[in-house]
Amino acid sequence: MAQGTLDARAGRPAAKLSTMQQVRRSLWPYLFIAPFFILFAIFGLFPYLYAFLLSFQEWDGISPSRWVGLENYSTLMSDAVWWKALYNSVWLLVVTSINLVIAFALAFILNSGLVRFKDIYRTAFFMPIVASSVAIALVFTTLFGLNYGLVNYVLGLVGLGPIDWLQDARWAKPAVALVVIWRYFGWNTVIYLAGLQSISTDLYEAARVDGARWRDIFFHITLPLMRPTITFTVILSIIGALQLFEEPLMLFGGTASTSPGGTDRSALTVLVYLYSTAFQYVEFGYAAAMSVALFLVIVVFSFLYYRFLGSASEA
Amino acid sequence: MGAQSDGWRMDRRKFLRSTATAAGGLGLASCAGWTTPGAKLGANDPNNPNIITVWFWDDSLQFAVDAFHKSQNKVKVYFQKIGFDDAHQKLLTSFAAGAGAPDVCSLEIGLIGGFTGRGGLVDLRKPPFDADQFKDDIVEYKWIQGSSADGRLVAMPWDIGPAGLWYRADLLGEAGFDTDPGKMAARIQKWDDWFQLAEDLKKKTGGKTALFADSFNDVLIPMIEQQGHGWFDGNKLMFVQKATEPLKAALRLHQQKLDANIQWWGAEWSTGLRRNAFAAMGIASWMQGGLTQDQPQTIGKWRVIPAPEGDFNWGGSFMAIPEQSTKKAAAWEFLKYVCCSVEGQNAIFKASGIFPAYKPAWKDPIYDAPVEFYGGQRTYRLYTEIAGGVPANVVHRSDRLASDIINNEITKVRNQNVDPAAAMQAAQAEALDRINGIVA
Repeated sequence: MAQGTLDARAGRPAAKLSTMQQVRRSLWPYLFIAPFFILFAIFGLFPYLYAFLLSFQEWDGISPSRWVGLENYSTLMSDAVWWKALYNSVWLLVVTSINLVIAFALAFILNSGLVRFKDIYRTAFFMPIVASSVAIALVFTTLFGLNYGLVNYVLGLVGLGPIDWLQDARWAKPAVALVVIWRYFGWNTVIYLAGLQSISTDLYEAARVDGARWRDIFFHITLPLMRPTITFTVILSIIGALQLFEEPLMLFGGTASTSPGGTDRSALTVLVYLYSTAFQYVEFGYAAAMSVALFLVIVVFSFLYYRFLGSASEA
Repeated sequence: MGAQSDGWRMDRRKFLRSTATAAGGLGLASCAGWTTPGAKLGANDPNNPNIITVWFWDDSLQFAVDAFHKSQNKVKVYFQKIGFDDAHQKLLTSFAAGAGAPDVCSLEIGLIGGFTGRGGLVDLRKPPFDADQFKDDIVEYKWIQGSSADGRLVAMPWDIGPAGLWYRADLLGEAGFDTDPGKMAARIQKWDDWFQLAEDLKKKTGGKTALFADSFNDVLIPMIEQQGHGWFDGNKLMFVQKATEPLKAALRLHQQKLDANIQWWGAEWSTGLRRNAFAAMGIASWMQGGLTQDQPQTIGKWRVIPAPEGDFNWGGSFMAIPEQSTKKAAAWEFLKYVCCSVEGQNAIFKASGIFPAYKPAWKDPIYDAPVEFYGGQRTYRLYTEIAGGVPANVVHRSDRLASDIINNEITKVRNQNVDPAAAMQAAQAEALDRINGIVA
């Protein structure tokens, strides 16, 4: 393969290597990529397989485990709390995907040269991701407070009534969505910005010479060329949104609420329910079944996106 | 393509230089993490049977550790401060993994059911521990809570949370009420007396100051805990029996706006306290420590009376020895000192207000002294009397799951005005469906 080409370029006929030399030559690439695969096998693959097997058992961590076959799955299918959590997670997926639109718009503005100090904005937008979860929890539970929260104060200034963000079941998911959108739009902005910057300006110049307007350029040059980047961010968003854990837990778990998910479990996400099941109710087998089910849901959503809206579909 | 965006072009030298610097920096950083600052014992030696690892979630244990080291030379303690959730979850995973458990672990009342009901902890009544020697000296309800259903003592009671009704003498005094604790206790003989006081206070202050922050906390919890902690009597689920009447009372008070509608345990509560939005609360002795630090302007203004119609306890921890420990003898020495000795229990009490479960410790004169925080009231003696009146149950292994189920229904009662009786029936049905091995 590559060896033959190299030798040909050097002007020498391709020498036949002995088997031993061939093996040694092809061994090095594998050795270089081995560390990743070893670590993945230990910390990624093994836990996945273990969890899969665990989903067919009943285990409390102390007593020996008991094989129960598909019982965990059948219990899961009739578990109203699971379906509520799944509904909440999908709701959050749909609503928090607004952050992709915001991120794209911001990236477009930053890239278009209309603003100066691009790097400062980029850093500022990215900060929420690096911020400590505890700090975010404290700040947002204070902001969303019914009596003394800043959000309600501002709403009051424009004549809107105070909202009980953390107690009212109708506003629990929007509260979580706001925190999530605030936290992750910067990540997507940075990615879109990188994508936009990789589009050659020659294309824009050629299009302008041909008389194209901004709208045409955007829809017929920028968007199509950004397809792979957008697919990337959407898939990541699907995975991330369906696995939302920190933000719902910050606002509606632990000491913030008497019951995980807040009033009527309105902000209970799949992962918070899974975590409670595993570590507080001590039902590891049932929690493992939930994780497998969630995996399947994510695969289905990703596949649906890819098939109907992603690179695989017609423009 | 023509001139691709030039971007940055790093030449090889710059690249190698920056990589080397990064690698060097990483190396230094990782070295720094290996030494623990501080004068405490830095690490445990697994081969030395006299150095034990102890897990607790608060710095206050250091007082007991220091006192223990002073009192004897043989056993040394390596105190690991572990976050509250981790102290229980990491313990659980160490049981599952078969390794990694400490020699002495701490467990809190809310999560103890999962451990008394499951295993992994040593039965302290057996030789060589023979914990029964302390049984009469320990508060009775705590002993039961630390025991399994079949009578093994798997967790030694450490501290208790004797609770009562706290009120602000300054705020109630301004509103024209007699704030002497003796007179107040005589006035509040039934819960209805307390609710009447709430109405009177609202009228007197024109709605500015409510009697308590949230009826679903300040009234509901005492009324439920008065019946003994936990939702089970053996295997019998007790949602409807224990919670229906308290819920009706809490909802009524909330709907009549006799509370300040402020959630507990958040920033709102602190702000509300500072703005005098509420004048009283139902809470346990350990609140003194937190308030002294966070709300020092209230020192001297609090008074406490026992809750009407029955005493209640809120909170409290236990210490236990995991079966995995190879240093059980040394662990027991420490556990005995901290939980079953007057010096150990009072060392922590005097430093942090953590209230002893070991009754002989209460003979110390400090318990009869006037307490500045409570404006001179001899509250510590009152707490010891309250501790004598609390009923107890063995905590069920599914206590946590049951709590989450009923709390969910309680949020619906509070925030969606669901009928309390219907809510408790729904909670009962859900729990019976979800939890194995329990009966109605």
